[in-house]
Amino acid sequence: MSFSPLVDRLLESLRVLPGVGPKTAQRMALHLLEREREGGERLASVLAQALAEVGYCQRCRTLTEEELCGLCRSTRRDERLLCVVESPADMLAIEEAGGYSGQYFVLHGHLSPLDGIGPEDIGLDLLEARLAEDGVDEVILATNPTVEGEATAHYIATQLTGRQIRLSRLAYGVPMGGELEYVDGGTLSRAFNGRLPFSGE
Amino acid sequence: MQPQPAFLLHKRPYRETSALVDLLTLDHGRIRAVAQGVQRPGSRSRSRLQPFTPLHLTWVGAGELKRLRLMESTGSAPMLAGEGLLCGFYANELLTRLLPLELPVAEVFAFYGAAMKELPLPGERAGALRRMEFALLEALDAEPVFCDLDGVELDPQTRYVYRADARRFSPLAPGHAGGLDGRTLKLLEQGDWAAPGLAAPARSLARAALTPLLGERPLRARELMQQLAARRRSG
Repeated sequence: MSFSPLVDRLLESLRVLPGVGPKTAQRMALHLLEREREGGERLASVLAQALAEVGYCQRCRTLTEEELCGLCRSTRRDERLLCVVESPADMLAIEEAGGYSGQYFVLHGHLSPLDGIGPEDIGLDLLEARLAEDGVDEVILATNPTVEGEATAHYIATQLTGRQIRLSRLAYGVPMGGELEYVDGGTLSRAFNGRLPFSGE
Repeated sequence: MQPQPAFLLHKRPYRETSALVDLLTLDHGRIRAVAQGVQRPGSRSRSRLQPFTPLHLTWVGAGELKRLRLMESTGSAPMLAGEGLLCGFYANELLTRLLPLELPVAEVFAFYGAAMKELPLPGERAGALRRMEFALLEALDAEPVFCDLDGVELDPQTRYVYRADARRFSPLAPGHAGGLDGRTLKLLEQGDWAAPGLAAPARSLARAALTPLLGERPLRARELMQQLAARRRSG
């Protein structure tokens, strides 16, 4: 059976969300319409506002409704360190892990010739402009350890040739609390090649 | 079915946790399949199903779109980085663009597999790619025939241009620069890629033969390589 056209449209629209199939969409719609009208209104207005106003930070390209995001404006962050990540989610993961006090640059994707994604599509021209300003001492390549992430890292490394900027790449390793037996061969061999001197303390 | 040796050519996300993949297989050529659940966080096949890694696969489905069942990686992936990685992308893009689905191309598979082993070594790259390209041209029945338009053997002293429409060579009009001399073409015919000075003519011949097959759309991997090379020169 189907509801009125408007309710059906609501169900259909909710299904743009990840993980939401027809059943979940129905539960969500009924919940909003029957028990949580106020929350629904809040959701609708915030959603509309966010979609209209949130864009990319002019400096690091993360999501923000301001010209510069909080991290870029912060005086506590070290401007000499720049960490390049593929997505805002990666940036959040690094922030949550803690220990990094520099700034970020978000690509929103990776180089992928087969999908027709080139350097301009992921803002590498902006990154280059950012690096042309003085002040960055080290670029940390935190693109994903996939072939596309690797290609992106390679491209950025080429952009940096001739500049006095240190370049580093996140290390490959065995996951904490993991067992060697179950680690895939690629990770294990890279972890092996990138082994570090053992320090007792 | 028996597990098939295969390589992943291309993967793109499909629905939330699955992926649509293009694979090069030993006996079935290029196939397209849905790999269910590989995009799920923590999925073990996610890290296994990577390009340039030798795989063993089984699938079900008789139609154009298969469903992958078993995925195992065999041997360790060559660590492609930098230039070698871009060459790998080039090979994948070329095969995805040119191979029709389910045309058995065991020879292309063999040369592709060999190329994946050689790409990490800078000195071997060009030769490995050329061997794969010529195997591909042969599989598509588009390889150059080393004689002139009338079927006469090439003269070592004359300079020729490749005519892709006829798959043969015609003598270069006097006063024009470029072309390849008959002696070089003879060496190429023998597959003597390692001979000194043959890298550039082999590349230009391969490109001349592949261009009409590729049509208007340029190869993005090649563009990327050229961009990087230009940068390196200017930097």
